[in-house]
Amino acid sequence: MKRIIEGIAGLALAVVLHTILGKVAAPLLVLFNAFSWVVLYFGLTRHDVFGALMGTACGLLQDSLSLGIFGVGGLTKTLLGFGAGYISRKINVAPAARTFVLVLVLASAELFLWKSLVLFLFGERFSAAGGLVFLQPLATSLVVSVAFQVFRRREARSS
Amino acid sequence: MKENKRFLLLLGLVLAHLLLISIQVPRGDEPTYFERAIFSIFGPVEHGVVSFFRGLKSTWQDYFYLRDVQRQNQALRDEAFQLRQENLALRNLLLDFQGSREIQSLLATVSRSILVATVIGIDSGQVYKSIHLNKGAVDGVRKDMIVLDRMGRLVGRVVEPVSRGESRVQLISDVDSGVGVVTERFRVIGVLQGDAEGKCRLKYIVKTNKDVQADEEVLTSGLDGIYPSGIPVGRVVSIGEDGDLFKKIVVAPYFDLSDLDQVAVFTADLRDLS
Repeated sequence: MKRIIEGIAGLALAVVLHTILGKVAAPLLVLFNAFSWVVLYFGLTRHDVFGALMGTACGLLQDSLSLGIFGVGGLTKTLLGFGAGYISRKINVAPAARTFVLVLVLASAELFLWKSLVLFLFGERFSAAGGLVFLQPLATSLVVSVAFQVFRRREARSS
Repeated sequence: MKENKRFLLLLGLVLAHLLLISIQVPRGDEPTYFERAIFSIFGPVEHGVVSFFRGLKSTWQDYFYLRDVQRQNQALRDEAFQLRQENLALRNLLLDFQGSREIQSLLATVSRSILVATVIGIDSGQVYKSIHLNKGAVDGVRKDMIVLDRMGRLVGRVVEPVSRGESRVQLISDVDSGVGVVTERFRVIGVLQGDAEGKCRLKYIVKTNKDVQADEEVLTSGLDGIYPSGIPVGRVVSIGEDGDLFKKIVVAPYFDLSDLDQVAVFTADLRDLS
């Protein structure tokens, strides 16, 4: 039950962050993907199964708030959440530098997969937003690494 | 959970997504019921977040940050006075062309059909594709209604899904958008399509055509059956050739996404009025 509440809170937080970023400045949405943050955070902290389910939920939510093909974001974010959870279960990702590199690789792979699917399956033009989109994985890994370190410190203090 | 079961769950989720994507090919105009349901659930969340922050902002601006308010009030009073005079002069001018009763009813219809809406969200997949508004089916918003910015320039049209209190607008800068347009000076007719980067392309103007000039204004032509004619759309910023049969003409739309806080939705079909 606690996990479900956490998941719903995560979804609501993603929408709230997305809305605030859009109101502050529209180009920020190209740089910061709040849905990816939530998926990666839950993947790293709650591992593969919960990561995959959060990926599905966040991805479909992102798709429903977009005028595109419904399901592409869901598919890529499911793989992202599962990947983050699976790797974090197999290797120690606690050191900050390791978290940063892992998230950077996963976020880059997800962006590449998502843009490729949209480009090759549906022939939609690739939008780089003046190159800003290529910085998205970097921004994602910075935010998620910080959030993950905060989570680890809180866990260590409470145990 | 065992390793095999984890991968089976992943496989199941991936297959479900592939199925969901495949039923949308070829791309249909109508969103799935599932997509509509999610939009109906999370549209109000966006609506609530924006309302909360607008409330905070207005509390700050209405009660605390009152610097320059007097000066702004005077500027707005001057502008309102000027617009009233202009409105009166234009009404009188119109009366010279059409019967008084006819024009009064036309003006009343136009005034009734303007619905002011607030932008509550921007497309989560691609910024220049769509926006979300805080007005929906209960406010009379329907598919294909046209949306203008506060200066009366074209922003886009309402598309599905339209929920009870929220709606989605396809921007003219979307790659899937198509607007019938005409250039201001030589009335060259073309189709305007978004380029996914915030600008548009004026398509199907053959290379031999020398009538389109840089910095020329582009207006709606009314030939697409959706947008009425004469609405300002944007300005030609560059004209080039891309080895094709047609010219490569880039048009910068007038509307500015970062300045798009409020928009006007036309609930009546303006083509019927003109």
